[in-house]
Parts: sequence; structure tokens; C-alpha cells
Amino acid sequence: MKRLASVEELTKLRDEIVERLSKRDRKTQVKVHLGTCGISSGAKKVLEAFHREVENRKLSDVTVLKAACIGLCDREPTVTIIHPAGGKTTYYDLSEDKVPQVVEQHLIKGYVADEWKLNPDDPLLKLQEIRVMHNQDLDPMSIEEYIARDGYQALAKVLTNMKPEEVIAEIGKAGLRGRGGAGFPTATKWTFVRNASGDEKYVVCNGDEGDPGAYMNRAVLEGNPHSIVEGMAIGAYAIGNVRQGYAYVRAEYPLAIETLNHAIDQAREYGLLGKDILGTSFEFDLDIFPGAGAFVCGEETALLISIEGKRGNPRQRPPFPANKGLFGKPTTLNNVETWSNVPQIIWKGAEWFGNVGTASSKGTKTLCLVGKVNNTGLVEVPLGTSLGKIVFDIGGGIPNGKRYKAVQIGGPSGGVIPIEHLNTPVDYEAVTALGAIMGSGGLVVMDEDSCMVDVAKFFLQFTKDESCGKCIPCRAGIPKMLELLTKITDGKGTMEDLAILEELAEMVGSASICGLGQTAPNPVLTTLRHFRQEYEAHIIDKRCPAVVCQALFKAPCQHTCPVGLDVPGYVALIKAGQFDRACNLIMQRLPFPLSVGRVCHHPCEGKCRRTQIEEPIAIRHLKRFAADYAFEHGLEYIPPIKRRRKEKVAVIGAGPAGLSAAWDLAREGFQVTVFEALPVAGGMMAVGIPEYRLPKNVLNREIETIKKLGVDMRLNTPISDVESLLKDGYQAVFIATGAHKGDKMGIKGEDLNGVFDAIDFLREVNLGKHVVVGQKVAVVGGGNSAVDAARVALRKGAEEIHLLYRRERRDMPAITEEIEAAKEEGIHIHCLTAPVRVVGHGDKVAGVECVRIELKEFDKSGRRTPYQIQDSEYIMPVDTLIKATGQRPDTSFLGGDGIGIAKGGTIVADLRTLATGRKGIFAGGDAVTGAATVIEAIAAGQRAACSIRRYLQGEELTPLVERNGYVPIEVPSVMPTEEELQERHRLRIAQIALADKKTSFKEVVLPYSTKEATEEASRCLRCDLEVGE
Amino acid sequence: MRQRGKAKPVQGKTTMKVGDNTLQQIHKVVEATNGQTGAPIRVLQQVQELVGYLPPEVLEVVSKEMRIPLSELYGITSFYSFFSMVPKGKYVIQVCLGTSCYVKGGQKIIDSLNKDFGLESGSTTPDGKFSLETVRCLGCCGLSPVLAINEDIHRKVKPSKLKEILSSYQ
Repeated sequence: MKRLASVEELTKLRDEIVERLSKRDRKTQVKVHLGTCGISSGAKKVLEAFHREVENRKLSDVTVLKAACIGLCDREPTVTIIHPAGGKTTYYDLSEDKVPQVVEQHLIKGYVADEWKLNPDDPLLKLQEIRVMHNQDLDPMSIEEYIARDGYQALAKVLTNMKPEEVIAEIGKAGLRGRGGAGFPTATKWTFVRNASGDEKYVVCNGDEGDPGAYMNRAVLEGNPHSIVEGMAIGAYAIGNVRQGYAYVRAEYPLAIETLNHAIDQAREYGLLGKDILGTSFEFDLDIFPGAGAFVCGEETALLISIEGKRGNPRQRPPFPANKGLFGKPTTLNNVETWSNVPQIIWKGAEWFGNVGTASSKGTKTLCLVGKVNNTGLVEVPLGTSLGKIVFDIGGGIPNGKRYKAVQIGGPSGGVIPIEHLNTPVDYEAVTALGAIMGSGGLVVMDEDSCMVDVAKFFLQFTKDESCGKCIPCRAGIPKMLELLTKITDGKGTMEDLAILEELAEMVGSASICGLGQTAPNPVLTTLRHFRQEYEAHIIDKRCPAVVCQALFKAPCQHTCPVGLDVPGYVALIKAGQFDRACNLIMQRLPFPLSVGRVCHHPCEGKCRRTQIEEPIAIRHLKRFAADYAFEHGLEYIPPIKRRRKEKVAVIGAGPAGLSAAWDLAREGFQVTVFEALPVAGGMMAVGIPEYRLPKNVLNREIETIKKLGVDMRLNTPISDVESLLKDGYQAVFIATGAHKGDKMGIKGEDLNGVFDAIDFLREVNLGKHVVVGQKVAVVGGGNSAVDAARVALRKGAEEIHLLYRRERRDMPAITEEIEAAKEEGIHIHCLTAPVRVVGHGDKVAGVECVRIELKEFDKSGRRTPYQIQDSEYIMPVDTLIKATGQRPDTSFLGGDGIGIAKGGTIVADLRTLATGRKGIFAGGDAVTGAATVIEAIAAGQRAACSIRRYLQGEELTPLVERNGYVPIEVPSVMPTEEELQERHRLRIAQIALADKKTSFKEVVLPYSTKEATEEASRCLRCDLEVGE
Repeated sequence: MRQRGKAKPVQGKTTMKVGDNTLQQIHKVVEATNGQTGAPIRVLQQVQELVGYLPPEVLEVVSKEMRIPLSELYGITSFYSFFSMVPKGKYVIQVCLGTSCYVKGGQKIIDSLNKDFGLESGSTTPDGKFSLETVRCLGCCGLSPVLAINEDIHRKVKPSKLKEILSSYQ
């Protein structure tokens, strides 16, 4: 190739190539995307397979080509097939052996092989704005394809039509900001270098993308290398006196180095680098410097020193590199993506560039969307796109139904942004305001299984390793911070440590020489700012809520259980056939094994490590098995009473919280009296949960056992005055009155006949009262009460039941198994639907007017806010309406006695000790937290019992609950065998026949047989042994 | 601080003799790199490629050839993670501990390699077959957790898959 001697020659060449390619493009093109991710997933084999197939089948009208990465990293290899007449199909997840099928179907028979086709309407594609990555359909190894797409025209334009100042002005007008970190305006930086004195200056490209969790620069280097070469040449011209540039690319990116090297060689060959570029007097050449692996070299002074071949220790600024940079000469250092934006700004204009983005953050940004998100990969979006849109629309949300927690943005220098800020626009200012930085654009999504203290520790371990050691704050401060964090994650931290940690973080940030040390504390500061309660849980409760910090627990299931049940222990006993001992072990911590084994929302199963192989162990069902076994065999476990004490304790409310407090207190030897307003004991377990989920005889058996421990149970005894209890000689009172008052919907017609409150409805039915349900029933709500009410209505003879819920199915708070059961029983679930009015006929319900809902921006809980869709009203004729839109405690019996009541009627109590404002009076369960779950109420009861014992014995109240059993029970220490570790799915849980479900209150879920239970128990991985050794 | 365990020379363990052939090759590399920017790093990268690692004996040769103090070369070698002063196994296993791999269980892979396969981070098996290293981000976050064995990147690795992966490198 002859060097291009003028702009005209470049344009002529472009036209020639376009002509030539248009001939090629008359054929069907198969473009195989060959980025690092693609290649590691087998893209080269796919390319060969296409070549082979096309040749073997003599498809002369098909041409197989190479192209760049399209960013769908976890769906690689990807291939795009383009038809000459238009029409483009992208296939993903291809492999060598799928190629013949695609060739057969698509290229020969001419229809799209749907199976692996990417839907063009996928929000993943639709919401993106591809600019920096715009040449992803080209072969990055071909300069001709780049030229054909107006490549190097921008360079030609500046060399012949623009003064250097005009170039800088254009970049300034576009508002381009540095894409590598803090977002410094590029034009300003260039002006500094241009104005610096000296006749030898440098331009440098920072491709030392060292942030863990970020690889967008790699994709640009691999996919659009000429845009960097051209951008740097333009920058060199604009700054003046620049004859040499360097691209510093990290050695971990061999393909990026190879591709860019190739691009540079080609550009030289075509006369686009070197002397007399395009026949002008402009001279510029470019060289790659392969980094040797040091994160600190991403810092500008360190990077420049590294190019000089030395240890990459940063130095104090000023002087800034703009005045004294590489070899002591004025130097501009810009990020890969910044350089890549330059040619397009010049060629298409500043206005085009700024037509997306926000006022101060213009253009697009490439982001690496990785971590706990469904669509991982490289995306490019307009700056200012909301975080929620990126994570949930483009990213497709969180895998495995887990709950989103935060994103970590900006790598070790950045920070975490929690769920309540999902509406934050991703632009320089907004992200910085939350304590993070945009950085290079790494966006790591974290879910409920990520521990924020551990994340902070991870980043500090990283910065500690990567600190160059030159300045003391960074060298000594970061290890000290890491030491404190480790102390905290080991459960040995104190609140004082937390204060020291914060102080150190401020100091390291303000006193370190370079960006590494200055920003290293950010992950600590942001997690402290947004997740202080997680630090406190580690310090005060010795708990890691995400179940990550191993020093704090043995088995994840046990750590997750609000009452800390020894799950691996009783599962092991079941496996060993010692069912009675398994039940006894459960009863060391839980007086309700029969009930909890049936109705628990089992958070333990969500953390079960068996999920890494297939599904979690059926923990709840195994608990039920052991409890049923003891029940059926007449075995009753009554724990020993420590010693008789004379102090009297009153418990108000015989629900799970009150009864478990009573059980623990009675066991301590206190004289316990439980006062219950209703004619039955059991609270919501008795009057909330329907018979078919928790049979009364089962629950009553457990209540009888509690009575046998000496608890005095007084039913039909509402308490109207807490004061009088103290006068009667009770030395401590535990208020656990639950949340039994249904919320109003706040719509017209709510008081018509035929409108029930779910809580009242379920109570009446549970108490055996005469309740008449109509033929056609609507239930409003998405929680367990709503689903329970719907299924009870069915059993009470309703013919048609509609459940109305204003959000999406995945947002329903009800237990998944219950929702599935309701659907199976024929209950119609209408999501994104809300009632606006109850329609009456006379004083009776005749229907409900509904509207359709659309979900828009995210609220503070991370859910989308529902909005009514205009003109979507319709009337659903029903004769009964059951509202289950929320419930609250009825605390009207309190007041004036020093006990605080919060908005929403809940009692104010210390969440750890459960002490109220009044000495000797404690409160817990739903009455304090609002409606929660049975197991959480039980945990509160145990917490209260602990505090009350301490209070009565004159000890200080502490947040830690004593979790000692009553009598030691030995658990076999047998690790699972190789065979047991093989993939074995969770054993199916049988149910009664559908017809029986619909017409009777018979218990729906059937127990495991002995054989099934031992088999299921043998799936346990015994995490308790693994770590406990 | 940037003074990695694996970069430290192993005292009294191995002494290697630099053969004539290697001497000549090092000489060539130094000559070819003469005058280029950042020559020491470029030379060390190429010499490591030749020899496999950078023991003190090799650094001494480079020092003499380039007329650069040995202390400076040692400073560079111990600073950059790319350089190793100890020999590596036939297969170098790099387990990524970048953020994405970390949140997706990269540490569990290391734990399993330590516990179930007796591989220790930063060292080589006695038969010289495997070396285990942890690295910070291989830039394949979309495939996390990943590990690389020599040039091959293995995607979405689970501890239960390790046996199968390792057995394909014999």
C-alpha cells in the first residue's frame, strides 16, 4: 500500500473500498464476534465451523467474516447474520456443534433458528446507545473497513480545515469529560498542555484498566482500535509540538495489545502515522507500552514514570503532567474511551455528541455490568440513565429471585450505592454526591448474599496489596484499616473500632500523595454511610446478615434462622434415623416444631449451600417430619426447669412471641401468666393461618406442652391497663399483642355489606363462626393474608376468586409455595391491577372498579412506584370483597404509661433488648415491628425472655441472646459421602388431591415418609463440620 | 505494599546457571531494545518470556548487559506482578479475584484448590505441574467466576467442576 499523500487520496480510497465492500456485501454475511470473552467461549471454533459448513455446502452467496465484541459477554459466542436486502439476526450461546443447524435453517432454508436468536426488542439492546462501540460489526483487524466508515476523515478535517485552537474549542463545546475517573473536562486538560512551554510534548493513552470488575477499555481496544489511533493523532495536532504518543496497555490484555499494535502498523503503512501525514507537515507516531501489572500505574504520574521503564511510584503534584510529564515534558494523559470519542465529535460535531446525556455530563458511557445480574456484559448508555434502568431493564434484574442490595461503582476508588437510590442518574455529579465515583465505569451488582463489610474488606485488601508504599498514610493507614475490618468480620470488633476506622479513613483520604491512597477509603466510607447497620450487626449481634463472614457462623442455615436452630444437627439426626432426638434438638430452641415445620417462611433454605449443586435441602419439611414423628409416637419433650423463682412475669398476648417468651421464662423458673384477649391461644397461628396449612390439633398440642411447663394461660382476658399488672405484683411485663387490625384501603364503598377485612375474615373462620362468602370474590393484596383469605374463600364455597395485586407477581410478599398452590386451586391472580371503588347495589357489594397499573420509577424500597393508567378503568362484578392491604397493631390500650407509640401504631422498643421507655416493660413481635413472620415473632419472644431474666436478676441488658440448649444432644459428625454429593434433586413434597383441597380444610401438604426423610436429610453438606473443625 | 510473596527470591533453594545460549539470547534482546522508551521493563518482559522466570542470576546478566544497577532491576521485578522470581509450573492457574469474580464466589474456588487439591496460592506443586496464583481481574467479568490456565480462560467455574477442569491438563 502506498502512503496516502493527501486528503483526496484518503477520500478516493474510501470510495474504492466502499465500492469493493458493497460487492462483498451483496452476499449474506456471517459475522463472528471475536472478543476475549467470545474466544474463551469458543468463538474461534464457531468461526471455523462456519467456514467449513459454508465451503462443504458450497454456499457461494455467503461470506464468513470476523467482527468485534458486541458486549453480550455471558452469551458468547455470538454471531450476526446480515442479509444483503436488509435484515439482521444475532444468535447467541452458539457452539461448534450448533453451527450446522444454524447454517441449515438460516442460510439454506431461510428461516430464523429461533432457539438462540436474540430478540431485537430486548431492552438489553433497545435501551443502549451505541457510539463508542459503534464499529462492533467491523473486523477490528481491517483498517479498510474503518476507512470505509469515514475513518480518519476527522483527522483529515482537522489537518486541512481546522486550527488547533478550533479543535480544542469543538471538544470543549461538546463537553467531553475524562472517561477514566473523575470526569475532568478534556478540552481544559488539552489547553493546559498546549499552553505549557516546551517544544516537545506527549500524548498518552491510559489503557491500564486495573479496576477489578471493569473491562470496557479492553473492549474498545479490541473492537475499535483505529478510533484510538485517530483520536490521539487529533489530540496531538490540537496540542501542538507533539511528535510521539504512547498507549499504555496492561499486559493482562494480550488480544488488546495485538489488535492495537496491528492498527498502529496499518496506520503507519497508510501514511496516517509518521511524517507528513496526508501530505501535510503534521508528524505523529504512536507506540504501545505494555504495562507489567501494577494497579497504581493507573495513576497518571505513576503511569508516566512506568513508561520510562522504572518502578511505578507516583509522585507529588504539582507540577502536573500538563507541565512536567513524560520525560519531564508537558503531557496529556487521557483514557481509552476519551480518545475514542474524539474522532466522532470532530466528524459529527459537538451538537451531535451532546444530544444525549445531561447538561453537565454529555454523551454516552460504556459500563461493565457484572456481578449478581442476569445480563452481564458491556453496555453503552447515555450519561444520566438511571441506575434502576441499567440494573433492571438492561441488566434484566437479579438472578435466582434474590433481592437487590447495591451496586459498587468505580472500583476500589469508588463506592456502593444502595437500593434506595435506584433512581440516581448515572452521571459524574450524581454519583459523586453519593460518595462513589464514576471511575472507568465498572458496575458490580450485589444482592442480599453480599456482605457490605466484606466488600469493604475486599477492596482494602486490594488497595493494601497495590499500595506502592511511598507515602505513610497509604502504606500504614490502609493495613491498619484492614486490620480493624478483619476484627469486625471476625466478630471481635467494638463500636470504638468503628469510630477509629472512620477517623483513619478520613485521614488516609486526605493525607495520601496520590489518587490510590486518597480514594482507597471510599469503599469503607460509602458502606459505612449506607450500610452502618450491617457493621453494627457484626459488632453488636455478632451476626453477618448476608451470611458471608465465616468466623461468625458454622452453617449458613443456622446463622440465617432468626432463632439460630441447629439445622445441620437435626438434619444429621434424621439421616441417622434418630428422629426423636432430632425433635428434641429442635425443641432446645423452639417450642413450636410442629407449627413452624408447617408455616415458616424458611429463610434458611435461601442460604443453603446445596443450592450450588441443585436445590436447597427441604429444611422446613424435615423439621415437620421430626416433629410429626414425635407427635405420632406420643413422645413429649418438656425441658427441665432450672430452679423455682418467686418473681412473677406477665405476658400480654398468647401469640408466637408471647408463648415463646413464656416458655423460656418458665424454664428459667419464673412464675409466668399469659393474658390473651381471644378465646384461644396461639395468636395469628391460631386465628390467622388457616386450618389447611396448620391444623388446630397440631397447634394445640404445642400449646398444651407449654402449659405443662407451668405457664398460667388466661384466655378471654384482655388487658386494658398495664399499670394494674405491676400493682398486682408482676415484676416485669412483656407486651406481644401482635398486629390484628386491618388497614383501610381508602376507597369509596369500603363500608358496604360484603366487604371483609382479611384478618377479621380469617379469624371468624378459624374460630368456627358462621361466615357466609358469596359466589364471586375479589381479594385485594399480595401478602400471605391475601392468599390465605382467597384459599379460605374457595373452601367456603366461592365459585370464582380473583386476587388483585398492584405490582408484579415477583413483588408479591406471600410465600411462593402458597401463591403456586392458590394458582393450582384455580384462583385468578391479576397483577398490576388496583381497586379504585367498591360498587354497591343498595347497601351490598355488586362489584369492584379496577384500574390497570404501570410501574414507573423506583421507590426507596427498591420497588417501582405504581401509577394508574388513564382510562383503563373497568368493573369486575363481585358480591364479596376481601381487603388484605396491610395490618397494624391495636395499641389503644396503652398510653400515658411511659410507653412510646410510633406512627402506624407500633410500640417503640429497643430492637435489641426490647425494653420500652417504661422500666420493667418490654415489647416485641408484630406489635413492635408491624406484621412480620412467625419465626421472627418467636425470636422476639426469646429475646424478651433473655432481657427480662437479666432485668429481674439485676444484670445489664445486652443485645446478645443466650442460645444455650437445655441438655446437650450429641450429633453425629459424619461428612457426606462422594455419592451423596452427586447431583440429587430435592425430594418432591406430596399434597392431597386437588378435589379435596377445594372442598375441605384438610391439611394440604403431606409429610415425608421415613424413607424420604432420611434420603432428603442425606443431601445435607454438613457445612457445620466443614468450618467447625 | 507492592512486595509480593511470590516475587521474593527463594533463599538457598535453587541456584540456576545461565547457559551460553541464554546469555546470547539476552544479549540480543537488550540490543534490540536499545534506545526504546522504558527499556528495562521491555527487556525484563522478553527475558522472562525466554527463561520462564527472573531468578537473581538472570537479573545479574541483564544488569551487566544493560548497565543498570541490580538493585534497580530488583526494584522493578518485585514491583510489577507480571514478573516472577521463582519458577512456575507447566500450567499456571490464575484464579481471578476481581470484584465480580469475588462476589460470585472466586474465593470458594481458591479454598477448594487449597483444600481439595493441595494447591497453595503463590507456589508450585512438587512435580512442577501446576502453579496457583490469584489475580486481580482478568477482564472477563461477564463470565465470572473465571480462572485461567495458561492461555485458556474457564468461565463460570464452580468448585464442583474443578476436578474435571484440572484433569484435562496432564
